[in-house]
Amino acid sequence: MSLARHPLLPLLGLPALLGAAMLAALSIGRYPLPVDDILRLLGAALGWRPLPPEEFEVLYNLVVRIRLPRVLAAVLVGAALASSGAAFQAVFRNPLVSPGLLGVLAGAAFGAALGILLSLDWLQVQALAFAMGVAAVAIGVGIATLFGDGAIVMLVLGGIVSAALFSSLLSMVKYVADPYNQLPAIVYWLMGSLAVADLTQVGSLALPIGGGVLLLSALGRALDALSMGDDEARTLGVPVRAVRYTVIAAATLVSALTVSLAGMIGWVGLIVPHIARLLVGPGNSRLLPASAGLGALFLLGADSLSRTWSSTEIPIGIVTELIGIPVFLLVLGRARKAWA
Amino acid sequence: MSATLLARDLRYAWRGRTVLNGVDLHVGSGEVVSLLGANGAGKSTLLRLLLGLLRPATGAIHLDGAPIASIPRRLLARRLAYVPQVHVSPFPYLVRDVVLLGRLPHAGLSGRIGPSDRQAADAALTRLGIEHLAERPYTEISGGERQLALIARALAQGAHLLVMDEPTGGLDYGNQLRLLDLLRTLAADGFGILKTTHHPDHVLHGSHRVAILRDGRIVADGPPAEILTRPLMRSLYDVDVEPHRLADGRLVFMPATAQTPPSPRYPQSHPSESPA
Repeated sequence: MSLARHPLLPLLGLPALLGAAMLAALSIGRYPLPVDDILRLLGAALGWRPLPPEEFEVLYNLVVRIRLPRVLAAVLVGAALASSGAAFQAVFRNPLVSPGLLGVLAGAAFGAALGILLSLDWLQVQALAFAMGVAAVAIGVGIATLFGDGAIVMLVLGGIVSAALFSSLLSMVKYVADPYNQLPAIVYWLMGSLAVADLTQVGSLALPIGGGVLLLSALGRALDALSMGDDEARTLGVPVRAVRYTVIAAATLVSALTVSLAGMIGWVGLIVPHIARLLVGPGNSRLLPASAGLGALFLLGADSLSRTWSSTEIPIGIVTELIGIPVFLLVLGRARKAWA
Repeated sequence: MSATLLARDLRYAWRGRTVLNGVDLHVGSGEVVSLLGANGAGKSTLLRLLLGLLRPATGAIHLDGAPIASIPRRLLARRLAYVPQVHVSPFPYLVRDVVLLGRLPHAGLSGRIGPSDRQAADAALTRLGIEHLAERPYTEISGGERQLALIARALAQGAHLLVMDEPTGGLDYGNQLRLLDLLRTLAADGFGILKTTHHPDHVLHGSHRVAILRDGRIVADGPPAEILTRPLMRSLYDVDVEPHRLADGRLVFMPATAQTPPSPRYPQSHPSESPA
């Protein structure tokens, strides 16, 4: 808890740590590169100290074309999942909530599976995953407003219904999918991977994901009030409905984008906010940016493991689960007191 | 600082059931007003109407002469504060941060907390004598301390009218009495306080006025010692209590002796212990 007394330390320290982690992630892999080489490439790219053209070409290929998209994708996806998880936990006043609560992951999974079943090209599969993720949340929120005036409990129930609907649709798609080509592709996609990320795609998603994370962070103080109760927040001048739906919309868009980019990556949105809470305290204006930074770090580490652990790549969803469970138990032990 | 909250002829129905049927009520600076009524009488509904959280079907609520519906939420929050029943937050916010939430109506949603906000929060903590709790998690302090933190938050809002939902609920006996004294001190400093309660004794101790809510109306409103009578208590709660006047003139209610069950099936003491 001593870190919490220096509010600026984690917020200044995290970006530095993240930069170092990105450098490290760029250097490791099947062909390990010294960090020195990456810095020399950077120097040459900026026109400070030119490299021999051949060496530049090799380094550029390896670092910028192959590893950088993955590293950036890990940073974006990790930041997005962790900060939307933290925002959801505040909105739903429940520390056990993750971004998938309202059905975005189930919807996106169905969308991607359907795209693979219909033999669409990869970009269309991603678009369908995104659209279905958003549609699932829209259905969940629709159920909540139809039956319960949008109260929290009804939102949760609406999300459960919507997630169940899309899970059964996904099962149907798996059942009718060609078991030799399509089914393995669906199963593999569901386990998550950052391997398909290319630089232009990562670049085009950086703006909406980054914008969403910033928007969530800006709502930090309103989320503090909201997590105390609707009536209290309203009497403190917080437009409760507007904030709640803004958070749901931003977190849904951002999570759906991450799913379309990298498939299903679990646990990040649930456990990283808890780790961040131990570091910077529960106040959301610090918690949300800290969660984003830690989420990026966490996924960067998980992805580095997934591609170096064995000679064949392990799907990152499996890695986050394997790391996530012990970390969660550890956090549970530390946080138990606060929940009692 | 002088403020008045005035409600006229409030009517409110929920799912076809009339909850409030023409309520008139006012609370102003310098007074503690207790709202007394049986369970389900509509006390909470009335509080939510007064705070602008619900809209009355008919009738009007005015704050210093202006309809509260016409006052922007943030401006309203600087003049009228809600102190909820003691609750537990799912997240261990520091007490200082809980009190700083009272500055939201001043700083705005994304506004930075400035030095004046910190001063206001510190002043509120000091006013309630809980500055030593500032760095403690809200989840780890006692119920009485949490209630004080919520009142400090209301003071940090800068509001002079406080609407409190059962402020003594969930507090131990000592904290209940200390809280009632605190409310009276705040009223002496010019705050206006409206609170709901279930305890006639808490009305007699420290309230300037009591309003009785029954069948959707305020059936009586005035000094507690005049309003609280044996017939009223019987009609309100369906129990028989006897008013007793103490030597110093204060009034207390005791359950009527006939109500105490004689418990004939159990002996008063164990036979082997009886002296005779």
